[in-house]
Amino acid sequence: MANAEKIKDNYIDYVLTNGEPPKSVYNFAKKTKITEADFYKIYGSFEAIEKAVWEDLTIATIITIKEQEVWPQYTSREKMLSFFYSYMELLKTKRSFIIYTLKKHPTKITTPNVLSGARSVFESFAEDVINEGLGSGELADRKLFSKRYKDALWVQFAFIINFWMDDDSAGFEKTDEAIEKGINVTFDLFQRSPIDNLFEYGKFLTRNGKLKEKMGF
Amino acid sequence: MKTQESMPTTKVERSAKFVKTGFQIGGNYVKHYSKKLFNPDLSRDELNEDNATDIYNSLSQLKGSALKIAQMLSMDKNILPKAYVNKFTQSQYNAPPLSGPLIIKTFTKSFGKSPEKIFDTFNLNSIQAASIGQVHEATLDGKKLAIKVQYPGVGDSISSDLKLVKPFAFRLLGMSEKELNIYIREVEERLLEETDYELEVRRSIKFSKACANLKNVVFPTYYPKLSSNKIISMDWMEGLHLKEFLATNPSQKLKNKIGQALWDFYNFQQHELRAVHADPHPGNFLITPDEKLAVIDFGCIKELPEDFYNPFFSLIAPGLMDNKAATIKAFRELEMIQPNDDKKQIEFYHKAYKEMISLFALPYTSKTFDFSKPEFFEQLYAWGEKIAKMPEFKQPRGVKHFIYVNRTNFGLYTLLNELNATVRTDTFQPHLSK
Repeated sequence: MANAEKIKDNYIDYVLTNGEPPKSVYNFAKKTKITEADFYKIYGSFEAIEKAVWEDLTIATIITIKEQEVWPQYTSREKMLSFFYSYMELLKTKRSFIIYTLKKHPTKITTPNVLSGARSVFESFAEDVINEGLGSGELADRKLFSKRYKDALWVQFAFIINFWMDDDSAGFEKTDEAIEKGINVTFDLFQRSPIDNLFEYGKFLTRNGKLKEKMGF
Repeated sequence: MKTQESMPTTKVERSAKFVKTGFQIGGNYVKHYSKKLFNPDLSRDELNEDNATDIYNSLSQLKGSALKIAQMLSMDKNILPKAYVNKFTQSQYNAPPLSGPLIIKTFTKSFGKSPEKIFDTFNLNSIQAASIGQVHEATLDGKKLAIKVQYPGVGDSISSDLKLVKPFAFRLLGMSEKELNIYIREVEERLLEETDYELEVRRSIKFSKACANLKNVVFPTYYPKLSSNKIISMDWMEGLHLKEFLATNPSQKLKNKIGQALWDFYNFQQHELRAVHADPHPGNFLITPDEKLAVIDFGCIKELPEDFYNPFFSLIAPGLMDNKAATIKAFRELEMIQPNDDKKQIEFYHKAYKEMISLFALPYTSKTFDFSKPEFFEQLYAWGEKIAKMPEFKQPRGVKHFIYVNRTNFGLYTLLNELNATVRTDTFQPHLSK
């Protein structure tokens, strides 16, 4: 009897025990006592399994945090903090496998394919949280930039995962600090700040001051 | 309440903070001396005040051990000039709290459950900051509980903090680095112990059991099953902090009763348990509505080894100070007089320390002692300021145990002074082995 969970668990077990992916889907299917056709009904490739693991963990995190009683009282900032704290807790349960999936992709600049599913889940979550913040006035609505806020959070996502991979502190305490600081800084930037006022002031001066003539434009 | 958004934790950030203070202090001296050019009468008080403000402002932005060190320094009123003390005392109150999600995370890590699933109610907004953690209110089975949650990374940053604070401590205390290291290590040990909440729960239970028979002293019940290395759960104690209590204009009789409870609590521990709650700052005590002293923090415990206890308390035994040879012997055991001191030095330190111990032991020399008398404290401060100016005391002397024992006893005296209490001082006597 083949199901997605079972295949996933067997695959994770195989990879962690052997330190490498199975030689072929046929080989893996045989060990799992399913047919190759059963496998392909659910996953197109081994990488699809890895992608699904990430995606499932991300979705599971979002579901868990939204079930918290305090969730509706949280600000956007706290919602994002809450996501990362719970996410890291969940990733911890599969740390070896998680690191295995990422170590295969040495480039850190572009999003590795294995994260693409998780990324779209995360970004739609981030967008909801950001829109809430924009709606309540917690975050500053900046014409060109508001749409990019979610990208900034994705950068934090990547940074935090990378930090965690190298974190050897007890209970990954340092990662907690990285989250608390990183997310707070990012949200500080999303909030209305002196830079906004400076920008406004500059706009005002170019429109109304005689700056242009004086500068010889 | 505004939640703290940035806590400088990497060493680089913290260093930057301290460097800034260094510059400002330099600046204050420049300011002081340039003012002095025009006004030679200007006292050093203003300079001390300026320095204290800057140091305090820097320290208050640092959590954890730096705050703790500020607290430590603030307890040693006998060493620091008054202006420093007033500023530092502020650091015992109100550090800004951490975010709600981080609190939940800490619970999930410890118990696999969020606080709302462990307790019937849990308030995510902390009601009070402790130096290395914050306190939350919760209820369980109709009981109100106080839950202490530790800041992440505190233990980690203590050693690096101490290294950074060192130069400041030296400057403040006017001492050099090499010989102070042994004391710094003692402080580091105690501070690291304070970050071990599991140890604190075990000690709290042990001490509250041992002290259970003391009159008018009460302790909260601790819940080891709801505690972890980052979390302590205990009964919520109703009561007033010392300042609030005094604001209610309590009767002299009541003040004496609370003062007596404090005195008994400390002296019972010193002489019967040989280990003492070494953090007598006002935040660790409450005065309950039924007029009892509640002790709510056992983070810092100082054990008194035999080779310290005996010579130290032999000194306050009546008559010993009249015996010069025996006094010098005790001073040697306590390393207040050192092996390579010459005759003149022995004479000098014998006289100076005899003066200090006589002063310190004054409350023990009569059956009762009135701590409201300002003369006693003025004498203590005056002695502190006097030795601060003496080149002979530039280098620290005495075994490392003095730091916490002095802190404890001066802290106790100060609390009793604030209470204006008169207490019986003969309730617990030293047991000396000959």
